[in-house]
Amino acid sequence: MDLQAGARFPDLDLPDHTGRARRLSELAAGDPVALLFSRGWFCPKEQRHLREMCALQDEFEVAYARMVVVSVDPPGEQSALRAGLGARFTFLSDAERRWLPQLGLLEESDTLHQPYRPTAFSLLPDLEIHRRYDGFWYWGRPTAEDLRQDMRAISRRVREDFERT
Amino acid sequence: MISFDGRALHAGSAAGRAFDLDSRCIDGPDYVSGAYANVCALSDEDAAIPFDQTEVQQVRRDALGWWIPMLGDTLVCVTMLALDESRCGGAITVTREPVDFGSDPFARLFPATLVRTDIFSCVAPPAGPVIERYAGVAWPGGSFR
Repeated sequence: MDLQAGARFPDLDLPDHTGRARRLSELAAGDPVALLFSRGWFCPKEQRHLREMCALQDEFEVAYARMVVVSVDPPGEQSALRAGLGARFTFLSDAERRWLPQLGLLEESDTLHQPYRPTAFSLLPDLEIHRRYDGFWYWGRPTAEDLRQDMRAISRRVREDFERT
Repeated sequence: MISFDGRALHAGSAAGRAFDLDSRCIDGPDYVSGAYANVCALSDEDAAIPFDQTEVQQVRRDALGWWIPMLGDTLVCVTMLALDESRCGGAITVTREPVDFGSDPFARLFPATLVRTDIFSCVAPPAGPVIERYAGVAWPGGSFR
């Protein structure tokens, strides 16, 4: 599956952290999206990175952008992690690993959990990939500033009244 | 638009104080009969709070953070109530079953009245934002698409 910039990300259909069936396009609801694939609650790198994302959520919430996290944790564990972090964005659960092989994002070095390899995408509202981040190495993950720049670039592209000249 | 007389909700502006809401909540097609609506609003015409007041953003953060997740599949819909482009009249949370409405964060804006109603339909729970998209369009309604 082509998951490079310019390609259209698949419209994932997965249960959210409450177990309710959701679609990625429904969560986007016409807004840009930061889509984060995460190893899961157990990984200290994920915990650290998600804390940074939580610090950014206040801006996403007032700037008409969405943040979505996907992991193989079941909804109950995602709910606990989400509450512990103070996250208000949506987690999607691929506990059945239905999308993982299709996306080709298996973390092959972890044969115990078989989780997602940390990978992030900034998406246009129609799910076109703006930028991809390969986060196997922690420094490959998007920082808050990276995502601010992406959201600015996407918003400039999709909001017709972004520039008032 | 809906109206609230302090005891009952009505579609349209026929009886009581009129509010704009997220129109998807009453546009169908999945109407829920006998739903429980926790109406955090008053029929008093003076009961209003500016949308830009920080507490209005904060109750919506709480709604996204834990109130809506706590309701899970029993949630039918949630909407704020708009009086005009700048004033908020409250909010309504609608569920299929009675829940712990005592925890409703919107009750921090206005006191709650629990009402049985047939006028609401199912709407997917919002994933954000915490502010209106357009002045006077009741959260979480509207879209830039």
